[in-house]
Order: sequence, then C-alpha cells, then structure tokens
Amino acid sequence: MSAWAPLLPAAVVGSERHAAPLAAWPGDVGQAIAAATAGAEPAAAVLRAAAVLAACGAAGAQGARFDDALPAAAPANSQEALTDPAQLGPIGWALREGAPRLQLAVPLALARAGRRFPPALLPTVLELGRRSLALRAAFAATLGERGRWLAQQREDWRYAAGAGAQADAQTQWQDGSFEQRRALLQSERASDPAAARERLQAALPELPAKERAELVAVLAQRLGPDDEALLDSLRADRGREVRQAALALLLRLPQAAHPQRAAARLAALVTSSRGLLGRRWEIDAPSAAADDWKADQIEATRPTHERLGERAWWLYQLVRQVPLSWWTTHTGLDAAELLKWAAKTDWAAALQRGWRDVLVAAPDITWCEAVLDAGPAGWADHHTELLALLPPARRERHWQRQLGDGSVPLDRLLPQILAACPAGETLSAPLSRALVQPLLARDAAGALANDYGLRATLPELAAALHLDALAPLATLQRHPDHTPSWADTLHALAQTLATRRALNTLAPETLTP
Amino acid sequence: MSLTLDAVLALAPDASSAKAAQGLLSPSGWPQLGASAAAVWGACQGSGSKPYQTQVDLGGPAFRCTCPSRKFPCKHGLALLMLRVQNAALFKDEAEPGWVSEWLATRGEKAQKKEERQAAAADKPVAQADPEAAAAREAQRWQRIEAAAGELQRWLADQIGRGLGALNAELLQTWATMAARLVDAQAPGLAQRVRDAADSALARDTERTLHHLGLLQLACEALQRRTTLGPALQAELRTVAGWPHDRAEVLAAATPVTERWTVLGMATELRDAKLTERRVWLQGEASGRRAWLLDHAFAGRGFEQAWLAGSSVVATLAPFPGTAGLRMLCAGAGAGAEPTLGPPLWPATTLAAEWQQVGERCAASPWVTLHPLVLPAAVVVQVGGQTRAVCAGRALRLLLGEADTWALLAATGGLPVALMGEWDGVALRPLTAWTPGQAAPLWLRSSE
Repeated sequence: MSAWAPLLPAAVVGSERHAAPLAAWPGDVGQAIAAATAGAEPAAAVLRAAAVLAACGAAGAQGARFDDALPAAAPANSQEALTDPAQLGPIGWALREGAPRLQLAVPLALARAGRRFPPALLPTVLELGRRSLALRAAFAATLGERGRWLAQQREDWRYAAGAGAQADAQTQWQDGSFEQRRALLQSERASDPAAARERLQAALPELPAKERAELVAVLAQRLGPDDEALLDSLRADRGREVRQAALALLLRLPQAAHPQRAAARLAALVTSSRGLLGRRWEIDAPSAAADDWKADQIEATRPTHERLGERAWWLYQLVRQVPLSWWTTHTGLDAAELLKWAAKTDWAAALQRGWRDVLVAAPDITWCEAVLDAGPAGWADHHTELLALLPPARRERHWQRQLGDGSVPLDRLLPQILAACPAGETLSAPLSRALVQPLLARDAAGALANDYGLRATLPELAAALHLDALAPLATLQRHPDHTPSWADTLHALAQTLATRRALNTLAPETLTP
Repeated sequence: MSLTLDAVLALAPDASSAKAAQGLLSPSGWPQLGASAAAVWGACQGSGSKPYQTQVDLGGPAFRCTCPSRKFPCKHGLALLMLRVQNAALFKDEAEPGWVSEWLATRGEKAQKKEERQAAAADKPVAQADPEAAAAREAQRWQRIEAAAGELQRWLADQIGRGLGALNAELLQTWATMAARLVDAQAPGLAQRVRDAADSALARDTERTLHHLGLLQLACEALQRRTTLGPALQAELRTVAGWPHDRAEVLAAATPVTERWTVLGMATELRDAKLTERRVWLQGEASGRRAWLLDHAFAGRGFEQAWLAGSSVVATLAPFPGTAGLRMLCAGAGAGAEPTLGPPLWPATTLAAEWQQVGERCAASPWVTLHPLVLPAAVVVQVGGQTRAVCAGRALRLLLGEADTWALLAATGGLPVALMGEWDGVALRPLTAWTPGQAAPLWLRSSE
C-alpha cells in the first residue's frame, strides 16, 4: 500500500468536512509526522504530513520492484559491424536521403563484405525495410544478431526477426522470415534441384497464394522435365498468380504435355499454301470454343472490358501458351520475318500480345532484339520492359545507338535506362561515359541547372553509373548564384559519389569493363 | 580524443543547424583542411565569393567562423569537427596559420585576464557602489517573498480545507492566478511549483499533487522563520523562491576549484518557444563530486561554452550557495595551455551508493527536482509499451522519445550497460549509456 493512502481521505474530501483525526504512520516517518503535526490546524496538519512524506519518499526512492524474468538479450554477433566513421557518414546519409537504388547498393555491398550494420543505424534500416519489400530482402543478410533481436521488439519490424543466421536449414525453413525461406530455397535449388522441389511441394498447402507464387518462381533456376508434374498440378491452383507462374514455367519446357497440347491447337490454325513467290502462311482464329479448353486454362468467355474481339481473344489465349520456338520450327521463318508477317495478318493485335506475354514469361534474346529492331506499332510502349529482358551488354547497344543518333532526347532516355537497369547493377563504363559527357556539356553551357526533368534524375543516375565514369560529375561546382534546389541536387550528387566510393572501399564492385 | 558524431551533433544550437552541417560533409566543399594538437581549421566554400575561415579550438571545444550566421556554433564549425571525426586523414598536420594561432592566443589571453579579474575580485570584498542601498534592496525583496509565502500558506490551507477531489480544469484556473501573484511578488520559483502541482492535479494524480503541495508548505514555513536559519539554508530558500544568485555573488561566496571533469550527460530542451535550456552533468575525476551546469540561451543562438558528452575536460567550477550542493558555475574551461579535451573517466559506482547520494541530497534540500543518477548495470526493456531500466531487481520508468527509445534498445540489445540520467523522483530521463571499460559512449540522447 502506498504511504500516501492514509492521507488521501482528508486531502480529497477536504479537511473541513473530514473530521477524523490524522492517521498514524509506523516507524521513524510516523514519529516525524506526529511531531510535525502535533497541535496544528487540520489543513496545516495534512500539508505538514505531506511535506514529511514528500521529503522522505524522495530520499528513500529505490524504483519499483521488478520480479519478472528479463527478456532474452541479443546473442553475440558473428559478423563484424561497420565502424569506420568515414564510411558510416555517407552510408547513413544514403539510407536517410539517398535514391532508392543507392539505398539498395548499401546492404548489397555490406553483404559482399560480410559486414553488418552498426546498432545506431538499425532503427533506420528496419524502418526502411518495413516500407520497401525490395530493400527488405537485401537487408536480411546485414542485420546481424542485434538487428534480428531489435526486430523482435517491435510489431511492425517483426518481418525481419526471422531465425538466427546460424540456425540449420530446417529451422530457417520453418521459422524464418519469407526472405530467409526464399533464399534457402534458392540455394538448395542451385545445389540439389529435386530436394528443393520436394521441400517446396511439401510446404505449398500451408502457404498463402502470394508466397506460393513467389516460391514457385524459384523453380525457374535449373528447370527440368522432372518439374513438369508439379507445375502441371499447379495449373489448377486456387491462386491466379500461382497458375500464371506455373504456366510461365511450362513455356520453358516445350516437350511437356501442356505446351504440346497448346501447340497442336495452334498448328491447326497456322497453315501454309504454296504460291508463285514460295510458301505463304495464313492464320485463322478459332471459330468456336472447344470443350477441353477449360481444363487447360483457356477461358471461353471474353472479359467485359477486353479490347480484343471474341475470336481474337481466343486466339490470343492459345498463342500465349505456346513457346516461341514452336513458331520458328513450325513455319521455318525467323523472329524478324514472323514479326513482319504478323503485322500484315488480320490478327496482328492478338498475335503480338500473345507473343509479348510469352517473351516476358520465357525471355528469348533473338526475339527481344528482333522486336526492338523492328519496333512495330503496338510494341513501342513496352520498349523498356523488353530491354530489361536482355542481358545488360545487349541492352546497352540499343541505348548507345539512341544516344548516337539523338532519336530520343536525353531527358527521356535517362529514365528509360534507369528503369531498365536492375537495382544493384551498374552500367558499363563506355555507356556511363557516353551519358556523363552530354551532361557535362550542358552544365558548361549553363543549361543543366535549369533543366528540371534532367537534373531530378541525376542522384539516381549517379547511383547507377560505372564508378570510373563518376569522377567528372564531381566537377559540377557550386556557385553563389545557384538556386537552393540546384544546390540541393549538387549536394545529393556529391553525397552519392561519396557513398559509392565508401561502398567500393568496403567491397569492390564487380565491374563490367 | 574520443569524439563521436553524435556528440558533435549534440552541440548544434537547433535541429536545422545539425542538418545543415551534415550537408557540408563532402570533402570537395573544403579546399583547405588543417590540424594541430590544439585546433582544427578549414576553408569552406560558402555562398560568398571568399571561402569562410572556420576553426575549432579543441581545448573547449570552442568555435569561430567568418560566416555571417548568427547561430553559434554555426554549421561550418559543426561540419568541420564532424569531418575531423569522420575522416582525420583529410586534415593536413601542420603549423597553425596566422589566423588560427592569433585566435588561439587571444583566447588564451582572455582566459588569463578573466582569471586575473576573478582573482582580484576574490581578494577584495565585493565592491558595492552603495552597500547600504544594496542591503536595503535585498531586505525589501526578502520582505516581499516572505509576505507572498504567508499568503501562499493560507491559500494552501484553503485548498486542503476544501479538498482536492472537487478540482477541475475551471477551478485550477485559480491555481494559475495564484502562480501569477507569486511571480508578481518576485518568487517565480514558488510559482513554478504551484503550476507543477496544478499539472499533477489535472492529471488526477493526487499523491503527486500532495507531494508538490507538501514541499510548498515546507518552503513557506521555512521562509517564515528564515532569519533563524543558517546562511546555506537561507541561500537554498532563495533558490527555491526563484531569486537567482548572479555570477559575482557565486564567485564571492566560494573558491572555484579547477579539476578534470567527465561530462556524464547533457540535455537540451526548448522552453517557451524562444529559450533553450541546457543542463550539463559533470563528475569530478579526482573528487568524485557531481556537478550540474544550467544555462539558457535564446533559441538558435547556442551556448558560448560547448560540452561534449562522453569526454573529459579541465574546468574551473564554483558551487552555487545553498545546501543542495549540485549546481555549479563554470568560471572557465580549458584554462591550461595544453589541449584539455580527453577521454572520459566513467564513474565506478554501485546502485546502493547512487540511492544513498540521492537520499543525502534530499536530506540537505528536499526541494531538489532533478538528481543525476548512474545505474551501473541496467537492462533497458519494453514492458507493456513502457520502456524501463531494470537494475538489481528494481525498475525505473524511462522518459524517452520514440526515436531515442529504439536507438537505445538497438545500442544495448538487452544487455546490461551503465546508464546515466536525470531522476525526477518518479521517472528517469536517460542521457547517456556506456559500456564499462570503454571510453566511447554507446548512446547519447538526441537534442530535443
């Protein structure tokens, strides 16, 4: 009971109405109160008792008893934390204010160096990961035991709590965060594809649809005929994303039963006749829906807002279930010729859309380049998407060409390049130099500071350029008459450069020449 | 020198200066950077045509810059010191250029002159223009305060007579009126205690309200018989009433002591939108004495003397008159010729000794509102949404902002650390955490 309790009745009701004499307290405090209140008016007695209690209470303070068990402390870290202030300064800035691409480069470099974030940065890192799924996976390897411990302490950081790095595969698979489980599946798939498939198959019934779809996509690595049975069963999954993931993977197995059936349907519609100028190919759309379509995920009913007509909609669905290689084998035409041919048929829209779906699901370099070179109408808006399917070196050929002939203005080309360059990768040195040079020329002409579109992409660009090409950007000097926002941009640029250099000292980038 | 970025940032007069300083950290903005044992300096390209000349005397640390900013220290000075912490290799070790050595010399001279003046002042009795008139003014002010205390005592009895249970926001307006009357009677210290009691009453915390009222009763009764009390207790009552001792009075009453002090912690708070209050807690490395420095500055202007939490510095301090023996006045820091900033000597203490000190201080002056407290091995835990420090089976509630809570948890990881804070009798406001045996602090409270 609180020592104040005996005093409360009189103090709350008022000593005028509370006639009872003051209570007695035990011990030395009681004696002090008795001495202080002897002979005093009722109100003064209450106040004097309060004075004794206040002074003695303050002097005897010891905190509240705490008998509960203390929560588990963070285990010792096995990774070394980042401690060099010269690296921590810019890295802290990058996490707080850097472009998303730079934020991602930080944990990737730390992971390459086998280092972890120091405790002071952990709240920032966990909060960033809460808001960005893309960063979350990269952060997982750099949190250390302390970071995982901290994540457990807060509800909205728990995504990162996971199982400890030392935990064995089974514990990680059962108790780990989604990122940990996916990483585990990926590494197992690389070493033992069958074991990874069986692990996934056993877990599928308990996983939510989104996780099922993302984990099934892991099978793309070392995909083989043995995977067909599982994929075929997933065509009937409850989740639409899972069905799509399974169908996309089946496209990469041309010998599997499902793509074979799809090819047979299409073969009946793509026919040739011999003419004066050689073989002529014709295509017709299905005239009626077949009974066996439903079992193969072909919908007979056209969606309400579908732009294609009913028969075109049917054709499109047939096309998107057939690997691109079938077309070249069946017709003997190459990708470029097929594209030209399709544009002239009555069913161009359905064919192009179907092919595009297949291309995205099972990328094919020859087809990608054919589309990019031909650039037929209807495909142009998917330029970036298609470029992203190409290996970086092949992509850059197209950008170099566009830079050279000036067909696309720099302020439109830069965002395209950035969108197509995957986060965590950098552009080649020649392309980087080719991009920096016109920027410097504009700055020299005084035009860069006022080009709002272009300058907004500069910090992000600095995070994507080849390290060797970055130095000239540091020569963009500040002048007193610069507007504050341009000064901010230059500052962000300088900090990005400093971060890139710090990260490179930490873990040299694997540079493409 | 055991400087950390956090400690330097804590010197910033406000949040915008701290942010601006972080924006000046790219080495390209500093065409010249140099360092000697006593100082660091650099030229910073600002918005003017000539670069600013920025310098930091490491002995204080003290700052100087040629920029026109009214903030002190300015962003350039902060950035220079942060660069030094981040990347000492950028600084060329060389002899101080003229503009640096001259400033250091004048600082040394000033300090010396100040010391001489103080010595002269201490030798002579306080020279008053008219001792009689001064004594009369003093007697008049005591008279006013004592009269106000008498009125306050009657008012207190009235409140208790009517009972605290009937209080509501409207009735508490009369408490604000009472506080205003006390300010008019030149007793702002008593007024603040009435306002604190009103805050507790508004929060329906009757025990805490009675705590405040009880201590007010004690102060009133002591003031009524002030002349029968010793000089130290009279000085303490003067402080409780809110009649501050000025610098000359403090220096006249006690001999300043020069010693190496460890800066245990620092709290900066914004008061009334315009005034910044800074509380610095020190511990004498030889004497083991705890000291409290209380300063105020107009917001954004910063403080003349900078203190780095988690460092140690030689300083000359004089205790304020009174019985609490906590508050001191800094008569000069870095008085010697050598650089005086060094690593901290964290206090070796036990929990029992800490509470003993609090108890003794309360016995000497029950009106002390903030006690420096060092928990030698505290585990920071979150229980039911509350953050607490658990030490030897006892738990103290922690007063911490959201960001500081997570930074402290990240820094400690559920492991026992030494935690220094301000104990207000109910909760602890942690300021510094460190691992015993390591000089660099684990965590510092961010400035508010």
